[in-house]
This record gives sequence, C-alpha cells and structure tokens, in this order.
Amino acid sequence: MDTLAAMLAWLAAAERWQGADGIPVRLAEHLAIALPSVLAAALVALPAGAWIGHTGRHATVAINVAGLGRAIPSYAVLAIVLPISLRLSPEWGLSVIPTFTAMTLLAIPPILVGTYAGLRGVDPEVVEAARGLGLTERQILLGVELPLALAGLAGGLRTASVQVVATATLGAVVAYGGLGRYIIDGIARNEDDRLLGGVLLVAGLAILVELAFALVQRALVPRGLRAARVRAR
Amino acid sequence: MRLSRTLALGASLLVLVSACATGGSSKPTIKIGSDGFYESQIVAELYAQVLENAGYKVERSLGLGARKVTSPAIESGQIDLKPEYLGSGLGYYDKTRPSGDPAANATALGEILKAKGGGISVLAWSPGEDTNAFVVRKETAELYKLARMSDLAAVQDKLTWGLPPECETNALCAGALKDAYQISWPPRSLKLLGACGSEIAAALEGKAVDIGELCSTQPIIGSSRVGLVALADDKATQPAENIAPIVRADFLAKLSAADRTAFGALLDAVSAKLTTEALVQLGVAHEVDKQDVADIARAFLKDLGLIK
Repeated sequence: MDTLAAMLAWLAAAERWQGADGIPVRLAEHLAIALPSVLAAALVALPAGAWIGHTGRHATVAINVAGLGRAIPSYAVLAIVLPISLRLSPEWGLSVIPTFTAMTLLAIPPILVGTYAGLRGVDPEVVEAARGLGLTERQILLGVELPLALAGLAGGLRTASVQVVATATLGAVVAYGGLGRYIIDGIARNEDDRLLGGVLLVAGLAILVELAFALVQRALVPRGLRAARVRAR
Repeated sequence: MRLSRTLALGASLLVLVSACATGGSSKPTIKIGSDGFYESQIVAELYAQVLENAGYKVERSLGLGARKVTSPAIESGQIDLKPEYLGSGLGYYDKTRPSGDPAANATALGEILKAKGGGISVLAWSPGEDTNAFVVRKETAELYKLARMSDLAAVQDKLTWGLPPECETNALCAGALKDAYQISWPPRSLKLLGACGSEIAAALEGKAVDIGELCSTQPIIGSSRVGLVALADDKATQPAENIAPIVRADFLAKLSAADRTAFGALLDAVSAKLTTEALVQLGVAHEVDKQDVADIARAFLKDLGLIK
C-alpha cells in the first residue's frame, strides 16, 4: 500500500505537470511517435490487406509474413536500425528513426490481418450481386466490400494502436522522450514511484485508446447492417 | 531376519566408510554468481574455471541481474562467491565512503560485509578497474583542446551530452560534474542513454552525442576503427573500481585450513592478471569477436598457464 501511495503522490506532485519532464510534454511526445507510426503502417497495410482480401490471392504468404513480423521483438528492430539510422542522420537517427521504424513494423501485422479478415468476412453473394450489376472490381472494393468490412478494419487499427501505445515506451532506451521515459528513468534511478507512475500512465493511455476505438467501431458499422441485425433478432 | 539385519548393517557401514574415505579429499560445491553485464560474467567464469581445474564442483548462476539482485543473493547464501567492483559495491551499502583509493575501498567494504549474511570476505583485488569514463571522439578532443575533465567547463554548451538516466540523482555523475568540473545541470543539449551500453557507444560513434559516459573497459574505447579519447578524471571524482572476489564465510568454513589458503591463492592468481588492458581485451573478445563467455575465460586462463 505504501508503494501505491508513493506512486499517487508522485503523480499528483505539481512539478509532474510542468516542464520538459512533465506529463503533458511526455504524453505529447508519446503520441507524436505513436500516431505517425500507426498511420504509416496503415498506408502500407490497408491497401495490401484490401487487395489480398478482395482477390484472395497470396493470402498465405502475406499472413505468414505478418506472423513473422509479430515474432520479431521491437527492441531487436531498434538495435538493428540504430547504426544505420545514425549514419543517415546523427540528429534524427538516434531516437526518432529507430523508434518510428520499430513501431511501424509492429503496427503492420494487425492492420494487414484485420483488413484481410474484414474483407473475407463480407458475404460473397453480395459481391456476386454487385458484379452482376456490372460494377467494376474497383467500384466493388471501394463501394461495397470496404464499407461492409469497416468494422474488421477498425479492429485491426485498434489492435495496432493499442500495441504501439504500449510499446512506444521502448523509445526511451534510445534517448526518446514519451511516457517510457518515466519507466526507464524509474528503473535506472531506483525510483519505484516514478516507475509505477509511468506504468500507470501508459496503461491508462492504452485503455483510453482501446475505448475510443470501441466507440469508433460501433459507429462505423453501416446503418444497413445494424438495422439488419436488429430485424434478424 | 537376523541375516537381513546383518546385511543392512554391513551395507550402511560400507557406505559410511566409503563416505569417510572420499569426504576428506573431495572439495565442496561452490555456487558462483555474477551481475548481468558481460564483464562481470567473464570474471566470474574465470573464478569458476580456475576452481574447477583445482577439483571444486561449481554451480553457476551467471548474469543474475544488477547489484540489487546479486547482493541479496550472496547475503542470503543463494550464491557463495561473486566478483565485486570495490567502489560501486561499497557505494551500494554506504554512498559516502567510496574514494579513489582501492585499498581504502576494500577495507571499508570488508568492514561492512563482515556483518552481512554471517560474514562475507573481500579477497585480493585486481590491478585493473572498470570505472566511469567520460569519452569524446578524437576530432572533438582536438577541436576543443580536451584532455582532462576540467577542460570541459569552457565548452560545455557546445557539446551534446550523452548521460545515463540516473545521472541527475547520482553523486558520481551529475554531482561530480557540477561540483568538481563546473558543468551546469542539466546540460543545454542532453540525451539520456544507459551508461556503458551499446546505444551510448553507437551514439558517440555516430555523432549523435559529443561526449558520453562509458565504462573504461568498454571495447569501443580500445577500437582502432573509432578514435575515442577518455578524458582524464583530474579531480579524482570517480571511485576506484578494482575487482575483487567476495566470498561467504560459511563456505570458507567448509574448507580445511590448507584448502582455504589454496582457495585464496587460486583466486588471487586470477585477480593479479586482471589489468585494465586485460579487461579491455576480454571485452573486445566478447563484444567485437562475439565469443562465448566460457571460451573467452578458458583461452585467457590457458594462455596464462592458470589452468591445464
């Protein structure tokens, strides 16, 4: 209970909310690396997942590559990228590029798989009907399949976002800021209140992201499907 | 009934006699542990192999973790022997006592450890040490005329500093920089990177930082590929970090007087060979040549004729 009290006292302290090591700044830094990583991953994985889901080709290869991606620890990515990125840019190559790369690679598999699964879940008869109506493949993908697959897509983005938020703490190992700074510094300085405070903040942020996406996912289910579900009951 | 009882008696007598026959000459098993980083593991492995060569059975627990883990481990008897850095080991128990004098550190540490875990002894320490070093690239040293830590005050704002996260609260880091070398805290440009790690070495080499806190035996310092210069600690702020084996009294008590002397001599022989250069070479073998801890130790000991 002492540890809990110490952690809460640490969080509530006035200096915790000001300055370069304050929670607002660290939170902003955390989001500043997490958001672009998820966006970059989506830019790669959404079209790839959509194409594989629509055509059904190369699915095994893609899913297995995504699985392999999950198996590579983000810290290893940091270590591999660091010497290369330092040579590219001493300024950005230490903290930003390695962390961004590791987080983007982390976010790709869930988005890829979520998009693919969402598209495969679309009723094939609906797709056939659309084809019968004379729609082009592109029109089918964008106008029929993707709206119906939106919930699955959002699910993939949700998983990716929560994972990235939770793992962006690694950036602190290569001198990045973010909420991970509290965890790494807490361990290094033997300050349990700092460490636990950081853990609580990261967990809290991850849960917030999860809840936000849950709301978004619900909103994204097309009205037609929602009505159909109600009628079916 | 009588026959089986006689046989049982005879059998137990036999076991007893054979136990007595071998009990005197067999050496007890010793549990050797070490901290997580490679240097601590290699030194512990040196102790282990030299003792195995002399007939001891060794149970290894290398790489247990930081001192937070290994000190309680030896105090509680989970391990009997581990390599200890005099300055940091002393500082763990009493922040105020470490100094630049290894003899003083060893004596102070010995006093404290006498009262821990039923008594722990500090054996002879190595001539070499692995202490904190503030290191710059050769070009930086030439550009700003840096040879000693005192030269830094004039150009501190021109440098990007790579310092460990605990620097701020560590008297040996921020304390020393502020009090002895007039560096204002925090430095204008600061990157927090774990001390003695590969990230800080890479950052220094890659010019992301201009001055970094490394360990004085980190292989990159001895590397010819990267020209690095360790600045002299002219105000002697860093404690003497010579390495000494520390061993539990209750283990030594298991040995006969003669064995106890021999045990000390075996470890002293290893410690005597651990110069700073030797420690750097061991580090190069591990970090650059990527050799196994056990192989590195064996080669080192064989070259010096300390094992067969």
